[in-house]
Amino acid sequence: MAQNDGSLSLHRVGFPAFNNYNLALKYFCEQGLQTGFVLPPAQTRKTIHYGELNSPDYVCAPFKHLTGSMIELLECGADILVETGGPCRLGFYGELQDKILHDLGYEFTMINLDIYKACKKREWLKLMRFINPDYKIPVMLREAANAIKMAEYLDDMEALYHKNLGFEVNEGDHDRVEREFLLDMKMAESGADIRAGYKKARSAMEALPLDKPPFPLRVGLVGEYYTVMDSFSNLDLENKLCRLGVEVYRNMNLTNYNLHPSELKLRASAKDYMRYDMGPTSAATVGAAVDYARLGFDGIVHVKSFGCTPEVDVMPLLQRVSADYKIPVLYLSYDTQTGDAGLETRVEAFYDMIARKKKVLKN
Amino acid sequence: MKKAYLGIDIGSISTKGVVIDENFDIVASSYLWTEGSPVQGARRVLAELRDSLDADYRVLASGATGSARRLVGAMIGASVVKNEITAHAVGTTQLHPNVRTIFEIGGQDSKIILVENGIAVDYAMNTLCAAGTGAFLSSQAHRLGVAVEDFGAIALTSKSPTPIAARCTVFAESDLVHKLQMGHSREDIIAGLCAAVASNYLNNVAKGKKIAAPVVFQGGVSKNAGVVRAFEKELGLSVTVDENGHLMGAYGAAILAAGSGEEREFSFETADMDFTTKEINCRKCPNSCEIICVSRGGQLIDAWGNRCEKGDVRARRA
Repeated sequence: MAQNDGSLSLHRVGFPAFNNYNLALKYFCEQGLQTGFVLPPAQTRKTIHYGELNSPDYVCAPFKHLTGSMIELLECGADILVETGGPCRLGFYGELQDKILHDLGYEFTMINLDIYKACKKREWLKLMRFINPDYKIPVMLREAANAIKMAEYLDDMEALYHKNLGFEVNEGDHDRVEREFLLDMKMAESGADIRAGYKKARSAMEALPLDKPPFPLRVGLVGEYYTVMDSFSNLDLENKLCRLGVEVYRNMNLTNYNLHPSELKLRASAKDYMRYDMGPTSAATVGAAVDYARLGFDGIVHVKSFGCTPEVDVMPLLQRVSADYKIPVLYLSYDTQTGDAGLETRVEAFYDMIARKKKVLKN
Repeated sequence: MKKAYLGIDIGSISTKGVVIDENFDIVASSYLWTEGSPVQGARRVLAELRDSLDADYRVLASGATGSARRLVGAMIGASVVKNEITAHAVGTTQLHPNVRTIFEIGGQDSKIILVENGIAVDYAMNTLCAAGTGAFLSSQAHRLGVAVEDFGAIALTSKSPTPIAARCTVFAESDLVHKLQMGHSREDIIAGLCAAVASNYLNNVAKGKKIAAPVVFQGGVSKNAGVVRAFEKELGLSVTVDENGHLMGAYGAAILAAGSGEEREFSFETADMDFTTKEINCRKCPNSCEIICVSRGGQLIDAWGNRCEKGDVRARRA
């Protein structure tokens, strides 16, 4: 970072690895708050190892991933960590991680956004002043809007990627465009950069040659927030499905769940199966599953971290959706395993089954 | 010369091989213990098949399935390498066109496949733990000093099976030891174990699935009459066990190979070539993927295990 001329903060903010959303946060911190930001290193087995070593045994897998990633961030020089908090055990994550990491001897400040959820605007402004005492509110607001835009673009590109990846004619086309897009987002310094990068990538990906049958197999992904979105946590499930020749859809993303919550709509879809909210993402899971079933999808994959109570509760409902709409559901549970032979067997068998079924029904 | 197709199913406990003719009838079969070495297991099965096969037959395509399918598939140059769920569904629906529900309990895993009008419409497979599979029965047989093959016959002699906790192998084992020390007879314990396997399966793998007759039960555990009886009692349905039920995965793989359209003479000698696997730890990023390199006759033929392009050492397959 440049020399501190009074308007820049010398803090380095870090947020644990989560899909590609760190890029939008990076943009907001650097451009909106004029502070340093540390991008987490790509998750590896080492990340999990650090996480497992320093987490309670029976905690859900995302905690281990996030904690491992936080340790890597601290090693990379972050001095402020951010944890989001959330509607389940996730709400306790920040508190616990703060203690665990300080016990390990790291010096940093934990910003636990869970606490701020009940706070007035004044508190939020105070929080940002802590990160950078000289930040400008209008700049911050403008760049926050741009960062949100970037998150939406990230989701939009990802959705297109998973829709078409399985049908690309030249292997590696989609990966190349996606990689260039992510690089553009990483380098963006203004709203104009973000929009230009997105437009370029979107038209480039749309122009890629595809070999797609008129009625391709369609699979919808539902499930627990972190595991279903983070490809490292779910062992690249989406790409594995795509590469078998499937259009993969996932309603659950930052745009649909946090930025423009479609929860009410999804709850309406789910109303035949649940009369009250069962916690965190349960309504989103059941609602999206019913929507996919009504749209005539060929299959649903339910993803959760091992022992995720709300998503375990949802399974009997999904079994009913499966029986009512005659749509197969594949249930996957993840802990911190990295061997994916078992996953490959199940995904391949699921594909064989829906492909065969479709072929027979067509004739 | 008559056309034939080979299917081989390399499981964690046993290795199965069949050769079928053009009408999908089994003309040779072999069933041996894997003994921890899938490569050796496959070699022995292939040798047995070669010896029992009529000289008239020419094997034109081969398929591999089971948990070591990739390794053995590379070794024999299989035309089809397919997961065991699909192979089982294909094999069973060929022999039992009316089947609605397939139970399969193998050495390490168990699955249920639901079939409608001859096609698989839903399946489930056990997750994470091997409770109630063949491996569990084997280890308990060892503890009781009984051959696992005799389990079924012994179980049928019991009048009052001892209830045994079935949820988890660790709990089941401590429950079993406890009951033995309390003085329950061995037949009752064994019958209890068989019932535990059946109820664990129904409460776990088959949970939420609608089980319709006819039910076909296969995999190594289907040879255990005690488990079959326990299933029939719990379901109130008759459960069919095919005499070739243990070969069904290999049979399905052979059918898939026959349908692959790829025909070139398969030589049983390929398996005798010098075949080695080597594990290397990729050092190009902190993930340190364990890459398995497979070579035949000193030449690298396949590699897997890496998760990004950096560690790509896969040889181009001819």
